[in-house]
Amino acid sequence: RRSSSLYTCAFSSALRTSRGRRGIIECSGKRPDIYIVTYLKTFNHEKEAVWRSSRCLYRLVPSRGSDSTTSNTEVGRVIISNAAITTSPEVNGQNQTSATLSCNLTNPTFPVKGHYWTNNGKIIDKSETNSDELYIEHEIKKVDYHSAGLYACVFLTEPQVNATIEVKVPPHVVAYKRSENANEKDKAVLTCMSQGYPLPTDWTWYKLKDDESVETAIVNGSDVKYEMKNTPNKTMLYVKDLDINSDMGMYQCQGTNQMGSHSDKIQLRVRSQLAALWPFLGIVAEVIILIAIIFIYEKRRKPDEINDDDDSGSAPLKSNAATNHKDKNVRQRNSN
Amino acid sequence: MEKPQKTQEEQQSSPQMAAPDGGWGWVVVGSLFVSSALVFGLIRSLGVFFVEFVQYFGESAQAVSWITSIGLAMQQLMSPVSAAASNVYGARPVVMMGGFLSGLGFILASQATSLLHLYLTMGLISGLGWALIFTPTVASVMQYFTLRRSLAMGLGFTGVGLASFAFSPLFQYLVEAYAWRGALLVLGGLSFNMIACGALIRPLGKPKVVVKAENSTKLNKCSSLFSRICEGFELALLSHRGFLTYSVAITLFNAGYFIPYVHLVAHSRHIGFNEYQAAFVISVTGVADIVGRVASGWFSDLGRMRMQHMLVVWTGLLGLSLMLIPVAVVYSGLLVVSVVYGFCAGAMTPLAFAVVPEIVGMERMLGALGLLQLIESIGGLLGAPLSGWLKDYTGMYTLSFIAAGSFLVLGMLVTMTLPYFWSCTAPPPPSPPMKKSQDESIEDGLLKQTLSSNSVPEILCPLDDIPYSDKE
Repeated sequence: RRSSSLYTCAFSSALRTSRGRRGIIECSGKRPDIYIVTYLKTFNHEKEAVWRSSRCLYRLVPSRGSDSTTSNTEVGRVIISNAAITTSPEVNGQNQTSATLSCNLTNPTFPVKGHYWTNNGKIIDKSETNSDELYIEHEIKKVDYHSAGLYACVFLTEPQVNATIEVKVPPHVVAYKRSENANEKDKAVLTCMSQGYPLPTDWTWYKLKDDESVETAIVNGSDVKYEMKNTPNKTMLYVKDLDINSDMGMYQCQGTNQMGSHSDKIQLRVRSQLAALWPFLGIVAEVIILIAIIFIYEKRRKPDEINDDDDSGSAPLKSNAATNHKDKNVRQRNSN
Repeated sequence: MEKPQKTQEEQQSSPQMAAPDGGWGWVVVGSLFVSSALVFGLIRSLGVFFVEFVQYFGESAQAVSWITSIGLAMQQLMSPVSAAASNVYGARPVVMMGGFLSGLGFILASQATSLLHLYLTMGLISGLGWALIFTPTVASVMQYFTLRRSLAMGLGFTGVGLASFAFSPLFQYLVEAYAWRGALLVLGGLSFNMIACGALIRPLGKPKVVVKAENSTKLNKCSSLFSRICEGFELALLSHRGFLTYSVAITLFNAGYFIPYVHLVAHSRHIGFNEYQAAFVISVTGVADIVGRVASGWFSDLGRMRMQHMLVVWTGLLGLSLMLIPVAVVYSGLLVVSVVYGFCAGAMTPLAFAVVPEIVGMERMLGALGLLQLIESIGGLLGAPLSGWLKDYTGMYTLSFIAAGSFLVLGMLVTMTLPYFWSCTAPPPPSPPMKKSQDESIEDGLLKQTLSSNSVPEILCPLDDIPYSDKE
């Protein structure tokens, strides 16, 4: 079991003088008692973990210039604690399918008000409690790329103490899209992402032969055709100036970390630029024909139309462009 | 359509021709069907391309989603321009030009080498084209129908739903067969079909501004040009309380309405479903959407409930279902909520348009539609980026959907403050700029004898709006 002891320098109030200027508290070294003023000499930090209120000497260090003032104001409390957390060892995903993480807190400075667990910095749902236990456990039912990460147990005491436990698995590599389509002479982007912890340190791409058995490795920079952009959790392979015959096929991306490696495959298809032109021209021709039909049909109906519209319509008083003198007279009467 | 030279007395003949309520009107509905499919159905199914763009250009999902935002914003911002142009030139040439522009945008987009090119082509050019298509087509359908307006609108808008259902797999196929550049080229060609749709819109009468210009006195040509522009844009509506209230409500609706279409696929995949399951969710939503549109249009025309009340019902349900989407983690649950969402979203759409003549009157409807889309664009411009930001900030889509739902509920509450909302019967027709009350009564009386009671208010409106404005 690993153990770690802590000396912490904690300030629970804002760093502000009575005049409102802010200063930098220098906490050099690990022992803050450098700044403790004389009357703390009753305190013996080697033998006891006790909390003492103290006056802190601090120096105001302005950003420019060299003058600094030393003050005698209490800025906060220095807490020296001897608390230590013993943790269970790191979890290796290849050896274990499930695991229980545990933390044991000894010599807490203050009563423990609660605790919670975090994974990769985010608090785990429902792990927060208000209990004052000193020995806590967290169970991981299945150790896989979902549950792997950097776990931490955090005790809510003053000051807060925590310890980390790593749960490591081989990476899980997934292609962003299993099947890619690109145009000839254009570029194609093949992307793979990885999940799990720790993130891959190495990414490699392979071009597979037709029977998917023999692999040719693609090395960054060896060929102007290929370019790789890698980040720990994502790799992108740019294949430029695509050729229909040689660039089509299966590509494999592989991510490796200290626990092992994993890969996924992507199928790249190259399409001719002119392939889409035929359906496009076909549709345009169809549109032109339709418009022609519509206008010709309308021109043919035109002589009949004027009479037709006068007869149609539901509201008797609303009528069309009246060529009818009778209607004109009716309207004039009503307007007066 | 030929008209004789009009005399001063003939100014009273309404530029709104008799609404045929049938006949060629159904062909115009068909045109609206195809246009809405190729505009909104297309926009909704662009998700397939976004996956490609994120990878090819190396940009974030949010940067790529700006393409749709710009396109929709253009469609709405340019709406008053489109309405004004239709008021001047008539719907047909404007829609045909719009069809050409929207196709051109996609054709140019197929040659893009950066995301900026896509913003300019798919966003600006196609967006302008969509603006020139949508408003005049909707207005034409509303001019062709009065009694069965909601049903006609509902049927016309089913194009969107059917397109969302069919286009997603189709676009997936196009991208696989031709790569995204070829697929965009083919889409450009498909968009050209809207030129033919425009050709189908036979004008019912001379455009409004042309009629007014013919009738105006020759004294003041300058002021008549300015008033032509004002008339074209219907700026007088900005002081109309009902219109302003409704525009605020529509803005809020718009803020929430498009969000699921931007995020539903990504959300489904995020929860863990694969591409085809996610696409199926969209398809199911689309089917419910179609059914909702037709059902709502048919039911509203029956006249049992006032259109404004029905609108409130549908938007309330829609907001609720949106907020429930993040709760559904099981596939079947997600499907059920999506069906409810689709149905309500579809039910709301024809009413949102058909209620406009009831508020502002038939005469000003075209301009109202244009201005309304301009104002509601604020909602769209806020809604999608806000939801994208919420997703980036929290890592999940939950808050985005809840925000969308609350926008809709807010809009619903604003709708309740419309004038005459709380009365059980239909409101009196909206008062036009200048009217002579004594002339109303004769025509009122005659009409009441001939038409059924429920449709009376709507038919009355056009008569009351007969322009007497040239008396000055």
